[in-house]
Amino acid sequence: MNKVFKYGLMTILVALALYNAVRIKPLNEVKKKQDTQLFDAKAYAADFMANKIESLPALQVDSFLEHLGNNPTAYAQEHGKKLGISDAYHFIIEGKGSVSAIEEEYIVLGLGDGSSVAIATDFIFGNAIRDGSGMAHIDDHQNTMDFNSISVELNNQVRETIVPLLRDKATMGSTLYFKGAVTIAIDQPNPSEIKIIPLRIQIINEP
Amino acid sequence: MKTKVYFFLMLALSLAMIHCKRNTGNNAQKKMAVVISTLNNPWFVVLGESAAERARELGYEATIFDSQNNTSKEAEHFENLIAAGYDAILFNPTDSEGSVSNVKRAQQAGLPTFCMDREINALNVATSQITSDNFTGCVELGEYFVRTLNKKGKYVELLGLVGDNNTWNRSKGFHSVVDQFPALEMVAQQSADFDRSKAMEVLESVLQSNPDIDAVFCGNDAMAMGAYQALVAAGKADSVHVFGFDGAKDVMDAIKDGKITATAMQSPKAMARTAAELAHAYFEGERQFTQKTPLQVKVVTQQNIDRFGAYGSDN
Repeated sequence: MNKVFKYGLMTILVALALYNAVRIKPLNEVKKKQDTQLFDAKAYAADFMANKIESLPALQVDSFLEHLGNNPTAYAQEHGKKLGISDAYHFIIEGKGSVSAIEEEYIVLGLGDGSSVAIATDFIFGNAIRDGSGMAHIDDHQNTMDFNSISVELNNQVRETIVPLLRDKATMGSTLYFKGAVTIAIDQPNPSEIKIIPLRIQIINEP
Repeated sequence: MKTKVYFFLMLALSLAMIHCKRNTGNNAQKKMAVVISTLNNPWFVVLGESAAERARELGYEATIFDSQNNTSKEAEHFENLIAAGYDAILFNPTDSEGSVSNVKRAQQAGLPTFCMDREINALNVATSQITSDNFTGCVELGEYFVRTLNKKGKYVELLGLVGDNNTWNRSKGFHSVVDQFPALEMVAQQSADFDRSKAMEVLESVLQSNPDIDAVFCGNDAMAMGAYQALVAAGKADSVHVFGFDGAKDVMDAIKDGKITATAMQSPKAMARTAAELAHAYFEGERQFTQKTPLQVKVVTQQNIDRFGAYGSDN
């Protein structure tokens, strides 16, 4: 009787140990879980563009151009953002202007004080939005490609949603408000060649 | 009494001398291992030598190890240098996934590892990673590519090692631009392992089925030189644009001569020096390091080449 009890108890203990040591799950369930852990740059960018642009702090374009013309390095170090070791600084700027030219790759806005800026409608590339806004940090991403995909998706959003609106609504002489991202190479700053990637456009007056 | 005072004075002096010797010899006793993926490519030779040179300038012993593009060889180096009592590793990984276990082993042995040029796919394993901003460099190179080809034409892409993140960061940066222009058609995309001879062989084979290409985009300068050789042999060197990546000396010379159209300049010297300086900071007691520090990459063309020296040195 004692032996039966002893072996029975041992069997139960071994069975319990094995039951807790091994977990069997369906392969498709595991794969599904891994997929959901993958970084979704598209959704991340879409959320940023839909919900964060309006409240994004921006520098006034006239003040930005003036300071850039005087002491670009000091201004960039104080107000710009850069990634790692680089001469390229990124900014978010905003302002109003009237359409003075519509070109293949830009819409040129006169700012009323004789200066002008170009809003890009083609060649929407680079990291101006991601790094100018500071919306993502490289150290949060195990694979740098995930971090780079954010820029790709942000630029795609601009290309697909902002540029068509701009192309459609901006006519010669119309006044519009813009908020956008811009990159300046501080080793060779040239305010007259600034290209703004549009983040938000509002038509104020039509001619 | 006098003898006792003399004895204690001598003892104090001896102790002070021993202490001084320890302090001045502190860095000289520490050893840095510089583990490089391959010394078969001059770019990586510059990376390794610059790291070792800066480490020696800072007062450390430095030895270079060649992994010969082989993760097993790399693992052997890690085992040996942990056993040999090295104090830090300045590391250029062979494979972003395959090299993780080696860095983990070093971490477990208490050795700080500073990755150079190539990243490993793990956070908080290497002490810090200093890499080129390959993606952004290729975005800018892609823009120049599109404008050079007037937004239309056929091209070939030669990829580097498929297990290396840099290969894909460069390719994806390039395609994030070029794929927006539907009149640019990629007729072939093949790996040539960052190797000059292999690039020549691959392009010779591609040219047989696609003799009418307008450009070749290469993931590094060694492959760009190999591609150029293949184009010379096929009599097409004057009509096909070749784009590289690195800023190696032979390609910089070839850009000046109008043989290669453009490259993206990354600086192995700056990366290597930064890695050695971070290791030095670690020995000085610093423990707060950013996980990843990208270094800007700049496009070099015939129009701006006078601003650049080979391998990122100043002109």
